[in-house]
Amino acid sequence: MRNFILFIHRFFNLLLFIALEIVCILLIARTNTLQGIDILSSSNAIVGMVLQKRENVLYYFSLKQMNDSLLKENARLQLQLSENNYSFDELKDSTITQSIPPKDSTDKIRYAQYIYRTARVINNSIEATNNYITLNRGYNHGIQKNMAVISGTGVVGRVMYVSANYSSVLSILNVKQKVSAQLASGTIGSVMWEEGNPDVLIMEDIPQQVTVKIGDSVFTTSYSFFPPHVLIGKVFKKKIIKKNNLQYLYIRSATNFRNLQYAYVVENIKAAEKKTLEDSTTTQKTK
Amino acid sequence: MHTNVKQFIKFCLFILIQTQVLDKIMIRWWTEPSGFPIFVPFLYPLFILLLPLSTPVWLLLFVGFTTGLSVDLFNNTAGMHAFACVLMAYLRTNVLNALLPKNLSEYGQQVPGVKVMGWMPFLTYSAFLLLILHLTFFTLEIWSFSNIGYLLLKVLASTITSMLLVVGYLLLFTNSSSIRNK
Repeated sequence: MRNFILFIHRFFNLLLFIALEIVCILLIARTNTLQGIDILSSSNAIVGMVLQKRENVLYYFSLKQMNDSLLKENARLQLQLSENNYSFDELKDSTITQSIPPKDSTDKIRYAQYIYRTARVINNSIEATNNYITLNRGYNHGIQKNMAVISGTGVVGRVMYVSANYSSVLSILNVKQKVSAQLASGTIGSVMWEEGNPDVLIMEDIPQQVTVKIGDSVFTTSYSFFPPHVLIGKVFKKKIIKKNNLQYLYIRSATNFRNLQYAYVVENIKAAEKKTLEDSTTTQKTK
Repeated sequence: MHTNVKQFIKFCLFILIQTQVLDKIMIRWWTEPSGFPIFVPFLYPLFILLLPLSTPVWLLLFVGFTTGLSVDLFNNTAGMHAFACVLMAYLRTNVLNALLPKNLSEYGQQVPGVKVMGWMPFLTYSAFLLLILHLTFFTLEIWSFSNIGYLLLKVLASTITSMLLVVGYLLLFTNSSSIRNK
């Protein structure tokens, strides 16, 4: 026993060093899975409060930019609305009109229903390998894990950690997960990020026979947790890989992550039902 | 004021400057080629570098762990900064022993600095430890050697920028702190 105590006494520093490093490794390992721990993220109460204080100061400096971006978004939405109205008029002019009785419930099957909640970005990073954004909304405001986050112009990310008043969002600038994406022609692929450049995303593994023009838009699909048809970005470069006849599309991100100021957290009411069904089929398969 | 209180205030200042100011500054040396890494400058390791010379190793380790974890909290990188900081704190004593002529316990409450060590030894000391810190942190963060050029470039660029900050700190605070110590 005496020898043991002497041993501990002699190598105390080394043992302490090893113990602390093991604690760190455990923390890293737990956060690197998609279900991390909540307490050690920027969504916890104290850190959130400090970030909110800073944002309250910086808010006023960016009001002008924010106004402009909101105006632009309004114009875009107005355009979309007017397009819808226009096509409606065209239908009226056509010779065949078939009215659907309003009581008939089959005329609108809602397989997805979305609630949009606004949130302010109080912390943002673009330089790390996995970038996180902190929002000033938490489960008190109805935010839950795995909700989609979009900005006025395009996709932002997915809610990872939620506390009472804050939530942290894993932005699409990460190397952990890809996002399901769709070209305007309907070709489906996945979009990922290669670290280093916060403006450029890569859509990989598109067959070579699919013709893609520079400037084509890339949207989200209804397969992922994002609502469908949200703009991801525009193609600005193509690279054909001779080896397997696939092409890489380089996409300029629609969301400007450098000056993100507000975001919408999107809740899909039907998501839980879809998830349960999909999970039950996968468990059956494995059995 | 008591030294511990002073150190605590210094700790809070370093963490706040790092997380509230420097983490907002994203630096890229060149915009082209587009693969050149973006990084934020790290100043908080300087707190560990500037702890008094006679600080025992176990205290250094705990301070390193706390400092790293505080920065981690703000950046959602739980454990990565802490890992790098603990490693740096552990190596600090060995590096100082190699660079200084006297035994470390003889220096008492003096902090490592230009007055005590001279310019070259202090720069070697901080550059070596900062390099270790950045190398560990970015290896942990990127977690793959598939793009080793990018990793090394990021470590190098980040270390040099942090060293510039350290030199800036020294030029700003060396004289006034040495007067206060007397």
